Amino acid sequence: MFGFILQRLWQAIIVVIAMSALVFCGVYAVGNPIDVLISPDATQDIRAAVIAQYGLDQPLWQQYLTFIGRILHGDFGRSFVYSMPVSELILSRLPATLELTLVAVLFASLVGIPIGMYAGYKPHSPISRAIMALSILGFSVPTFWFGLMLIMVFAVQCGCMPAGGRGDTVSLFGVDFSFLTFDGLSHLVLPALNLSLFKFSLMIRLARAGTRELMLSDTVKFARAAGLSEFTLLSRHVLRLISIPLVTVFGLELGSTLAFAVVTETIFSWPGLGKLIINSITSLDRPVMVAYLMLVALLFIVINLVVDLTYALLDPRLRKGRA
Amino acid sequence: MTDTVKPLATPLLEVTNLKTWFPSGRGEVKAVDSVSFSIAPGEVLGLVGESGSGKSITGFSIIGLIDEPGRIVEGSIKLEGRELVGLPAHELRAIRGKVISMVFQDPMMTLNPVLSIGMQIKLALEAHENISSSDARERAIKALAQVRISEPERKVDFFPHQFSGGMRQRVAIAIALLHRPKLIICDEPTTALDVSIQAEILAEMKELVSELGTALIWISHDLAVVSSIADRVAVMKSGQIVEIGPALAVLTKPQHEYTRALLDALPSRARPGQLLLRGSGIADAAPPPRKSATANLPPLGSPYLVIDDIVKRFEKPAGLFRSLAIKSGLSRPVSTVLAVGGVSITVSRGDVLGLVGESGSGKSTLGRMAAGITVPTSGTIRLNGQPVMSAGRSPKKITTRIQTIFQDPFASLNGRMRIGDIIAEGPLAHRLVSRAEAPGYVKQWLAAVGLDPAFADRFPHQFSGGQRQRIAIARALAMQPDVIVCDEPVASLDVSIQAQIINLLIRLRAELDLSLLFISHDLSVVRHLCDRVAIMYQGRIVEEGEAAEIYADPQHAYTKRLLAAVPVLPQAAE
Repeated sequence: MFGFILQRLWQAIIVVIAMSALVFCGVYAVGNPIDVLISPDATQDIRAAVIAQYGLDQPLWQQYLTFIGRILHGDFGRSFVYSMPVSELILSRLPATLELTLVAVLFASLVGIPIGMYAGYKPHSPISRAIMALSILGFSVPTFWFGLMLIMVFAVQCGCMPAGGRGDTVSLFGVDFSFLTFDGLSHLVLPALNLSLFKFSLMIRLARAGTRELMLSDTVKFARAAGLSEFTLLSRHVLRLISIPLVTVFGLELGSTLAFAVVTETIFSWPGLGKLIINSITSLDRPVMVAYLMLVALLFIVINLVVDLTYALLDPRLRKGRA
Repeated sequence: MTDTVKPLATPLLEVTNLKTWFPSGRGEVKAVDSVSFSIAPGEVLGLVGESGSGKSITGFSIIGLIDEPGRIVEGSIKLEGRELVGLPAHELRAIRGKVISMVFQDPMMTLNPVLSIGMQIKLALEAHENISSSDARERAIKALAQVRISEPERKVDFFPHQFSGGMRQRVAIAIALLHRPKLIICDEPTTALDVSIQAEILAEMKELVSELGTALIWISHDLAVVSSIADRVAVMKSGQIVEIGPALAVLTKPQHEYTRALLDALPSRARPGQLLLRGSGIADAAPPPRKSATANLPPLGSPYLVIDDIVKRFEKPAGLFRSLAIKSGLSRPVSTVLAVGGVSITVSRGDVLGLVGESGSGKSTLGRMAAGITVPTSGTIRLNGQPVMSAGRSPKKITTRIQTIFQDPFASLNGRMRIGDIIAEGPLAHRLVSRAEAPGYVKQWLAAVGLDPAFADRFPHQFSGGQRQRIAIARALAMQPDVIVCDEPVASLDVSIQAQIINLLIRLRAELDLSLLFISHDLSVVRHLCDRVAIMYQGRIVEEGEAAEIYADPQHAYTKRLLAAVPVLPQAAE
C-alpha cells in the first residue's frame, strides 16, 4: 500500500509539472497582457517600465523558470488585475465554491443513489418509470436554461428564494460559510440544485443499472434463500456491490464540478472560483490562470488517489498485491 | 407416476400437480408441468434431468424464488401440511433459510465478494433471530467448524476470494445449515468442483444430513453423483417427472425409455471405443477429401506430435520502479506461477492421448502450448519433426496442421459472424480453398459433423450448445489438420449431447486418421475415447500409459486418489 501511494505521488508531481508548462505556454499564446494592463495612450517609457516590472521582456523559458522558482518558495505571483498575491486571491474564493459543489454532489449522491436503487429494484413500477423519465430530462436540459428557469419560477414569480449572491455567512475557523444561517442556506438551495441536476441523473442511472443487474445474480438469490429481508438485501449486499462504480463517478464528478462550476456561479452571481477564472481569462490575468489550472490538476490527482484508496476499502480483493 | 414406495410417515414436503410457467412471446413456456412428489423427513431425493428439464425451477418453486415473470399457475406445495403456494411474501421469507434452505451451483457466484464470511453468516443469522455480534461470531465459527473448515476462528474474517471453490461451497452449506432447516435444496452443488473435492463434499453432506436428520433435494445432471447420495431418484424431462423410485431400482432397472436413454449415453457404461447410443440427428455425410498431400506423413503409430521438456512460467510484468528495485536488491523478484514444469509427452500419429487433471493442474496451458496459442517459456514442440512455433522474440504459430476445439462453444464462436463465414475464415486465409469454392467446402463440413448444410447462413445464437460444438469441430477440421487439441470439448454439454459429440469424434478420427490431444477432467469420457492417458498434477505428468492399464492398475498415489473419487453408478445385479 505504501509503495502504491509513493508511486501515485510521483505521478502527481510529473502531472503538475507538465500541467504548469502546458498552461504557461498556452496562456502566453493567448495574448499579451500588456495590452489590457496599460492604457493605449501611455508613453513608450511607461510601457517599457511596466513590461520590465512584470518580467515580460524576458524570453519565455526564463519567465517560466522564474515562475517555477517562485512557486518552490510558495509564491504564486501577484494578480495583474487585483494587485494581490494569487494564493490569497484563490484561497478567498475557494470556500464558496467548495461549499456549493460539496452540497450539490452530496445531494446528488444521497438522494440519487437510493432513488436509483429503487428504480432498479422495481424496474417495471410506474414510479420507477417516472424516475427514469426525470433522469433523462436531467441529462438533456442545459444547465444554464435550468438555472434561469429556477430563478424565474422561485425568485421572480414566487419571490420565495433569492436570485443570487451568498447571503449571510458565518465565520468558522476563519472561513465564511453560508449553510449555517437561514439566509445563507436559502441562497445556497437554488445554485446547488442547479449544479446537482446532471450528477443527480447520473447517479440514478448508475445505481439503477447496477441494482438491476445484481438483483438477478446468484449472490442476491442466495441471500434471499437464506431468508434475508429485502431491505437488508439492498442495504447490506447490493449497496456494497454497486458502490465501486458509484465512487468512481462520485470522484470524477466532484473534481469536474469543483473546477468547472462556472456556468452556475455566473448565473447565480456566486462569488466562487468559477467567476474568478472567467474574469481572469477576459483580462488575461496570467498568474491567476496558471495557478488556478495547476490547482485543478492537483485537485483531480488528490481526488483520484482518494478514490483508489476507497476502492481498496470497499473491495477486499484489491487489498492484496499492492504492498 | 410410478411412485411405488410411498413414505410411511407424514411427508415433510408434498408437491402435487405443480405447474410453473413462464410467459413468453409465443405463449407460455411450461418449465414445470404437473410435477408431483413427496419427501419424508430425513430423506434424500435426487432430481435428475438435462438442462431445460425444469429440475432447477422445481427447486426454486419450492423455496418461492421464481424469477419474474415466471409464476406457479397451479398445484400445491405443502410443508408439514402447510400450503406454501400463495403465501404472502413475508411469511415465505420467514420460512426461507429457517425451514427450507438452498445451496447453489457455482460457489464463485453465490457469496458476496465484498463482505467477510463472518458478516455474511451474521446477516443470515439476523434474518431469523435477534443475536448480538459476539454471539453471531461464535455461531459463525461453530458453523464453519461443522463443515470441516480448519482454523474457523481465523477463517471467519476471510473474504470469499481467499477460499478455493470447494471451501466456498462449504461456507454456502454452512449458511444453509445455520438454522437447522428441515429441508435443503441443493442445485448442482458439486458440478463446478473437481472430482476429488466433489467426493469430499458428497461424503460430508451425507454425514451431516444423517446426523441432523435433514431432508435433501439433490438436483443434478450427473446420474452417478445422484446415485451415490440419494435414497430415491426422480427423473425429469421437459418439465415432467417421467420416473420416480428408489435410487437403486431406477438406475439399475429403469422403467422409462428416457431414463434408459440417459443411462445408455454415459460413456462409463459402454465399452471403450464403442459408439454410444445416438440421439436423433441427421445421418452424417463423409468428410470432404483431404486437400493437402498426405504422402510425406509418417505411418500410423509413429511418434508425431513430440513435446519435449516444456515449461511455462507466468509472471506479472514488473513496472519501472519495481524492476529498478529488484535490480538494486531492494525488492524481491515478482512472484511467478509455474503452470507447466518440464513436461515431455508424445502423441503418435492416429492416437488419442487423454490428458487428465484437476483445475489448476496446467493441462489447459499445456494444450494451448501444443496448439501454438501460448508461447512456452522453454522447451520445444515439434509436429512431424517441424517446430510448431517460429523462433525469435515473439514466436508465432507456423503450422495449420494442428487445431483446437475449446470448452465453451458459446464463447468460442463469434456471435456476429455467420457460421459459414466462421468455418471458411481460416481455410480462406491460408488459401486452402478459393473464395468460389468456399461455400461448397463449408457445406461439406457441416454435413460431415451432422448439421444441415443450409445452416451456413445462420448465426451462432440460433444453435444449441451441442450444435455449436459441432460447428467448432467443423471449423477446426476445415483447416485440414492432422492433430486436434480438444480442451474439455464435452464438459459443458448434457449427457446425450455429450454422447453425440463423443461419437462424432470417434468416427471422424477413424475416417481422417486424426491424432487427438484430449484434455478433460472427466475420467470416464477419457477412458472411453483415449488410447493412452497422461495424468497431470501440479504442472507435471505423474503417470502415463495405456488407458486400460492405468484404469485397471494405477501406480501413482494421485492417480489412485483421482480414480477413487469418481462416483460410480450401481451395476445391475444380473
